[in-house]
This record gives sequence, structure tokens and C-alpha cells, in this order.
Amino acid sequence: MTCRAVLICPGRGTYNKAELGYLRRHHAGAPLLETFDDMRRAGGQAPLTELDGAGQFGADTHGTGDAASPLIYASSYLDTTALAEDIELVAVTGNSMGWYTALAAAGAVDAAAGFRIVNTMGRLMHEGGAGGQLVYPCTGPDWRPDPRRRAGLLQTIRQIDGSEGILRLSIDLGGMLVLAGDAAGLAEFEGSVPHIDNRFPMRLPHHAAFHTDLMAPVAEAGRAALPRDMFGQPRLPMIDGRGAIWWPGGCDPGALYDYTLGTQVTQPFDFARAIRHAAREFAPELFIIAGPGTTLGGAVAQSLIACDWQGIRDKASFQARQDEAPLVVSMGDAEQRGIVAE
Amino acid sequence: MDRADIVHENFRARTASGDLPPGAGPVPSLAHQDAVRLFRAQCLSRALDRTSRAMQKAGQGFYTIGSSGHEGMAAVAQSLRSDDIAFLHYRDAAFQIARADQVPGQSILWDMLLSFACASEDPVSGGRHKVLGSRALMIPPQTSTIASHLPKAVGAAYGIGLARRRPPEHRCLPQDGIAVATFGDASLNHSTAQGAINTAGWTSVQSVPLPLLMVCEDNGIGISTPTPKGWVAASMRHRPGIRYFTANALDLYQTAQVAAEAARYVRSQRKPAFLHLTMVRLYGHAGADLPTTYLPAAQVEAEEENDPLLHSVRLLDAAGALPREDALRVYDETCERVARVAAEVVTRPRLQTAKDVMASIVPPRRICAPTNGPAPEARAAAFGSDLRQMDQPQPMSRLINWALTDLMASHGELIVMGEDVGRKGGVYGVTQRLQQRFGTDRVIDTILDEQSILGLAIGMAHNGFIPMPEIQFLAYLHNAEDQLRGEAATLPFFSQGQFTNPMVLRVAGLGYQKGFGGHFHNDNSLAVLRDIPGLIVACPSSGADAAMMLRECVRLAREEQRAVVFVEPIALYPMRDLHGSGDGGWMGAYPAQDERIRLGEVGVHGTGRDLAIVTYGNGHYLSRQAQKTLADQGIDARVIDMRWIAPLPEKALLEAVRGCQSVLVVDECRRTGGQAEGLMALFVERAEMPVSRLTAEDSFIATGPAYAATMPSATSIVDAARKACE
Repeated sequence: MTCRAVLICPGRGTYNKAELGYLRRHHAGAPLLETFDDMRRAGGQAPLTELDGAGQFGADTHGTGDAASPLIYASSYLDTTALAEDIELVAVTGNSMGWYTALAAAGAVDAAAGFRIVNTMGRLMHEGGAGGQLVYPCTGPDWRPDPRRRAGLLQTIRQIDGSEGILRLSIDLGGMLVLAGDAAGLAEFEGSVPHIDNRFPMRLPHHAAFHTDLMAPVAEAGRAALPRDMFGQPRLPMIDGRGAIWWPGGCDPGALYDYTLGTQVTQPFDFARAIRHAAREFAPELFIIAGPGTTLGGAVAQSLIACDWQGIRDKASFQARQDEAPLVVSMGDAEQRGIVAE
Repeated sequence: MDRADIVHENFRARTASGDLPPGAGPVPSLAHQDAVRLFRAQCLSRALDRTSRAMQKAGQGFYTIGSSGHEGMAAVAQSLRSDDIAFLHYRDAAFQIARADQVPGQSILWDMLLSFACASEDPVSGGRHKVLGSRALMIPPQTSTIASHLPKAVGAAYGIGLARRRPPEHRCLPQDGIAVATFGDASLNHSTAQGAINTAGWTSVQSVPLPLLMVCEDNGIGISTPTPKGWVAASMRHRPGIRYFTANALDLYQTAQVAAEAARYVRSQRKPAFLHLTMVRLYGHAGADLPTTYLPAAQVEAEEENDPLLHSVRLLDAAGALPREDALRVYDETCERVARVAAEVVTRPRLQTAKDVMASIVPPRRICAPTNGPAPEARAAAFGSDLRQMDQPQPMSRLINWALTDLMASHGELIVMGEDVGRKGGVYGVTQRLQQRFGTDRVIDTILDEQSILGLAIGMAHNGFIPMPEIQFLAYLHNAEDQLRGEAATLPFFSQGQFTNPMVLRVAGLGYQKGFGGHFHNDNSLAVLRDIPGLIVACPSSGADAAMMLRECVRLAREEQRAVVFVEPIALYPMRDLHGSGDGGWMGAYPAQDERIRLGEVGVHGTGRDLAIVTYGNGHYLSRQAQKTLADQGIDARVIDMRWIAPLPEKALLEAVRGCQSVLVVDECRRTGGQAEGLMALFVERAEMPVSRLTAEDSFIATGPAYAATMPSATSIVDAARKACE
């Protein structure tokens, strides 16, 4: 029986030590990998198969934008081609750079063009990205929404921004907030909030101040490097980082280009809203997270909890639901992958 | 078979086979992607109609008036900007869906289904009513009071123009925006619509900016009564001051082209236009309405032949925007998606308690920039020679005039409007010189139409102004009362306070004008105002009180966004003496600018314990005369002026009568529906002393010597008081 699903493409930070070899394990010999590798070689960059096939994971080798972004793109895009036939995708979304993957998965750009966008933007971020990011929880360990705590954090961000340094909300992950800023702003925040579990606030290495106006030069360089005619009509609805839906046949490719290489790069990415709208506008039976890693599953769950989806009110009820009949499937999880992959 | 199912099956079969209705080809008005977006909006609107019926059958939905046949309105939305304030007809789901597509980040399907389900998370009304509306889309919610939104659309358009010259603090409409009002062909016949259209033309021919687009959705029938052929065009084609446009709304491309022309005209010329769109109505008026019971089956089927979605399929295919097969897939996928989401929506919580329902009757407070009032020089310039008389006792009309002057000088967003309020200064001189002081655009001489006066006020309030409309006489309010009851008072309720229309409506009224005017100038019933939830009704009885209460009323409107009615007793306007000629007992000095009488604060005169006379307005004046007579007769009474008619100041009244032997209610309004009814109930239920009442008879007021015969007098109050003390 057909299972209607929303596809979610992951962002940076999902290809780590445990994911080394992901392409080899799941997509060895895929013709597209050769295409991607050729494009890398032509730009004087290490091929993906070489990076993915390395003997050991190196943060400076694999974690930088010019390597991590294309690795994640290739892994998640190829995952979408491995979905079982009875999975019917009703919409596609992504987190942060996952938007580029979503464009390709939905057919608004072809796979090679998507790779070109990711590789170009990843390289530009690596070369010219200013500032950094950190992540901090806005709920307790039970993942229940805590409006007061969240409002307090946003207030702290507003107070720091413009006085102590630059600090902005970069990505809303539902239960976690990704903040972006300059060194002073990030440090001030780290000194202003309680430290949790010796993990948070957690700096994200090799990340720049994505989704803030600090990225305006990168966006401009991206637009200079990438032609407008790469974009066309998607085959599937796409939900962007504002929660806006781009419908097949109804897209203005020019507007899509401007959003992708403009607004999306320099404005906050509301992943929680994208997931909320994926649920509310498409009511899928499954949320499938393509690509490496399993960390985005928590953000999807927290985003669903935040909108009280199907009575899932906290971490425990989410886990109970997952045990009963999975709602969120991470293809980076070997066991869950089997639910949706051929 | 349900007509909705017949239309659905027809669409699927005819699209699949290519058996599409004939018509002209597409004019080049839409880019392919825009045409597809609009077709998607049409399909979603249609699927919502079908789903609403299914939800009702399952006991999960509560509204079935649909938009089927009117889906061409998506093209009207396309021709407008998303910040053009739109007062929509209830068949305009396609308009709202298409507009939602212009504002990134909307969840329009979910939101509209919440509304059908009356779920408390419905972002517009919070589950109080199925309405089209959205703050993000600048669509104030409308209910079903036919055409009652047209007068305020005129007001909103005027407010857009005025805000260019006098931007109010809480302005929310762009200066190059326009206002849009949509309505059906049957509604066009309503006196409210005709009044609003007349006012728009009357305003336009005087070259006053009025960027208003009126859209008549002519489906040829009002529930079961056909509109005569050609009626709308004949009625509207040659109206002075209003440009007429027309299009066939079955044709998405033509509608987009003509609507864009009309919108461009309104936006660039700042003049009103009337866009006449012809269309069909499918399925009948609402879910329970079967059109075949009052229309020949052939006519119903002929309308169904012209399903606008079939025309869209034909046009998009011909234009190369969307192949026919893809159109069918869009339709099917949309229907399936809506059904899937509806299954989730019906699980959402609904309102349960009276408290839940009533939570949005009173609008939220808002922050206003503080002001210390006008600079002394500016104030002196405004008042002129009046300033020298301020330490002298004055009658009420003069003190209200001064209070208005101070308030208007302090708050630039205050606008006075009404019949004869400007040049003439009001029938009783209350607004004298205000126009010279503040200009013709802040003191507006309006057309002689109370619905238009209140509509002007409501619409301007949508853009941050604080209107102070005047109804010349209380009896004239009644032809316009729905603008308060059905529109102004309900707006916060149906929008959860997201839209508000704060105002202070001044009404000259009540009886006792000596021999003058009869019923129509001495109406003595406030019943029509008392029961409107959320409405504040004030009634001062002396000049000083009036000034201080008016300041409070303006504060309530500015800061608390309340709709307030300020009833001014005409007979007390010129009153100077209380007990005898020349005693000046009913005049007072102008209170200091910072003095206010708070909402719910009553006036207590005397400390007598034999009797508490509870009254207001002229009754207060007469009771004060009676109080003296009673004192001479050994009865020590206190007189309590309730001041605030609604909401009833219960706590203050109970406190004020405490310790008295008995209570006498003196009500100059009619026995039936008068304030005495509420007061009697209050004291019977919550006070311990005996209570009695003296009211006006259930009669109209006579002209001539018997002008006061039906109402309480000082003598009858004394008699009733003596009886109460026996």
C-alpha cells in the first residue's frame, strides 16, 4: 500500500565520524557519484569518493564547508533515489543547506545542478564565511515546549545583539535554537546562559554565521557564480525555510533563484515552521529524513511536538509512537532505513 | 445524488475526455506559473467546499456556504497587493487562498479547515465563527450581515487617503494601498450597499481621494430569487464618480486582465471603481439548500455545464500553461490532500465554556505614545477667545466643545464626522469652531446617511484613527444600528482582537426638550445599545462630568481599543439653573485637563440614608431638584448618577447605596427595555433594601405642551420617593 511521506533533507553537521563511508556503504557505483567527482576534480577539489573512502575522519578534512556540504548532498540525494516504490513523496523540505538538496529532490534543479549549487555555496562559505554558530536547547529534556524559556532566550539574544556583538537567531529547530554571530556575540551568549550537560551552548566547528546578513557577500558571490537558468519547475511541492510552499507548475523560477541565493542565505531559517507546515498542509504518514546522521530526527520530533501533532506532546510520547508505528524515519539509521529503502 | 458530487464527477469525466465548455481563448494576462497558481487556488477552494460538506455530515464541520462557482475570485486577488485591505464576500475562499500564496509562510489549508471545524486554534476567530479573514493577509473577518461591510470599506478607503496627510500612530495600511469590498448581486440591492455606493460616488465627485474597489460577484441569484437579467450592469454602469468595469469570471485570464485594469485605475486615480464579475453559483446557497426545489433542473444543469474550473482547464491547456491531464492530477491530488488534512483537523480542540467564547469580546490594550497635550501656545491658538472664559461656569454644550478641542489638539488621530458638525458646528453648537480649529479633513461634514457615518468611522479606525462620529439625534441611530451591533462590536470578537475599530460615537438624545421635536428629536430609549456585548455606553448629566467622561472615553478608545457610545442629553446642553431662575446651579467650570471620570465610577450627591435615588442624565437633574424638596419634607436622600449605562457599574452602585433604607430607580427611558430593568434586577438580587422604580411610559414623545408628560418629573420623583420611604 502506498505510504505518503514528506522528505526532509539534512543540513550541515550530519556527516561525522560515524558517517564516514556512507556513500560507499549505500551508493557504491552510483553513476551520479562519478558525475559529482568529475565536477570536483574540474574545480581542483578532492573527489567525494575519495573523501568518503578515507581511512579516518578528519574534522578539518571532512567537516569544512567545501567537503561536508557536497558529501551530505550526495548522500541524501542518492538516498532519495533509493526509496521504495510504495513511498509516495507528497512534499520535500530541508534544513539549511538541505534546501539545496530539496531543490534537486523535488526536481526544481537537476542532480548535477544541485551539486553545483551545494559545492559552490559550500566552497564560498568555507572561503568567505564570517562568524560562527552555536546551538542551545529551548526546551527541557522532555522536549515539551517551554514558551517562557524560549522567550527568555530570544530576549537575551536581542539584548546581546548590537550591544556586545552580533548575535541572531539562525535556525529554529523546534527544541533547539541555532544562533549565529560574531566571536563577541557568541562568547557573550555562552557567558550569559546556564551550561547544560556539559554540552550546551555547543559551538559548531567550521560553521559560519549562516542565515544572517553577515552572509550577504557569500550570497552575492553565489549569485555571481550560478546562473538563473538553472532553476525550473519542481515536480513536487517544496517547503522552504519560511514555511512557504513552492508548487509544481506555480513556481516563478526567478523568484526561486532569488530566494535560494538571497533570502535563504541571509535570513533566519525556520525549520520548525517548515516541518509544521509539512504536517499541517500535507498530513503525511511518514517523515523521511534522507542522508547521513540521525540528529535531525530529534529536531523533526521537537518541531512536531511544538505544534502538538497527532497528540505527540513530549519525548516520551514521541518515542512511544515511534515504537508503535514510526512517524519519523532516518535513513541514516540502519534499522529505520529498511522501512523506506529498497 | 448530491449536486456537489454531480459537479465533481462532471469535472473529472469532462476533463479526462476533453469535453470542455466552449469559450474565448486566453487573453495574454497571466504568466504560466501564475495561471497554474490560480488554478491550484481554485481547486483548493473547490475541495474545501466538498470537504466542508463531508465534515458536516460527520458532525465535525459547522458551515457549508461554499465558494463553488466563484473561484474566478482568485484572479481578483492576483490583481491586488496582499496589503490592500479586503472586506470579503463569504464566497471568496479562492480569493483568500490566492492571496495567501502572495505572503510566504501561510498554512492556508490547515487554517481554513480549522475554521470549518470551529477549532479553537482557528487563527482568525479562534473557533467562534466560520469566517474568511486573516491579519497576515489584511482580510478583516466578515460575518453574514448582508452588505454591512460596504460602509466601512468606504471608510477604510477614506482613511487610506487621509493617512497620507495625517498619519496616525497606529496606521497599518500603506499610503498607496486601496480598499476592496466584495459582495453578491443580491446584496447589491440592500440599502446598506446602495448607501455605501452612493457615498463613494458622492465623495468621488468632490475629488476627495477614495481608493476603493467594489467587486460585485454576480451569479444571477440570491438564494432562490433571480436577479433580473442585466440588472447589475444597468444599475451600476453610469453611477457618478464610480468607474465601471466588467468581466466574465468563468474566464480566469479575462478576469485577471480586467481586475488588474480596475485595480490600476483605483490605485493611480485614487477614485472608486465597480468591478462587475459574472459567474455561476454551484450547489445552491448552502449545504441544506437544494436548488432544484426552486429552479428548473435544466437551469441548474446549465450552470453546472459552465463550471469555472472546466473553463480554467480549457484556458490553461490552450495557453500552454498546464496540459489537461496535469490539471486533472492537480485536482485529484488537491481533493485527496484536503481530505487527509481534514482528518487531522477534526481532532483539534474546540471552545467549551462561556469564558472561552467570551474571551475576545473586549479587545486587547495597545501602547500609545504618551502626550502632555498641546503646547500652551498651540492650545491658546486653538481656543482663541474661549480661553478667557474658562474659569467661568459654563453649560454642558460649551464644556463638551472645549473637551473636544483639547482632545483633538492632543491627539492628531481624532477625527470628528457627522451631519452639520463642521460649518454649522452642530445643531446645538457642540462642535462649533472645531472645523476652523482643526481643518475640514478632521471635522468632516458628512452625507446625510447614518450608515455611512458609522461606516466611515469603522473603516478609518481600521487604519489607526480614533473616529468620533456624531449621530445628530438618537432616533436617527436606528437605521444604522447594525453598523454598531453587527460590525463594530463584533470585530474584536470574530478576530480575537487582531482587528479593532475603536471609536467614540457621540449621540445627542433623550427627552425633555421643551415642546420641541417630538419623538424623532427626543427618543428616550437606549435599549438598542445596552445589550451589545463589549460596547461601552456613557451618559453624562452635567458639563463638568461630560468633559471628564469624554476624556475617559477617548482614553478607552485609544489605549483599550474600545467602541464607546457617548449619549449627550440634549435638554441639558443649555441648562444653567437647578432650583430657580438665575441660580446657575447646573453650570460648572471646565475641569483641569488631567481630570477624568473613570469607567464605572458613579456620582454620589448627598449622604442621606433614608433613600438612594439611582438615576442618570435628565433624571439626575430632576432628582437633584426632588432631593431638595424631599429634604424640606424631612426625607434625607442621596442621589446617585450612574453615568455609565453599559456595562452596568454594579460594584460602584452597590457601594453607593449601602446604608440606605431603600432605593428608588428613576429612569427617563421607557419602562420596557430601560435601564431600570437592569437596575431593579441588580438591587433585588444583590442589595438588601427595598427597591422601587419610576420610569417613562411605554410611549413615544409628544410635540408641544405634553412633551414631558410620559416621563418622570421632579414632582413625580418626590411622590415616588415619599412612597418608597413609607
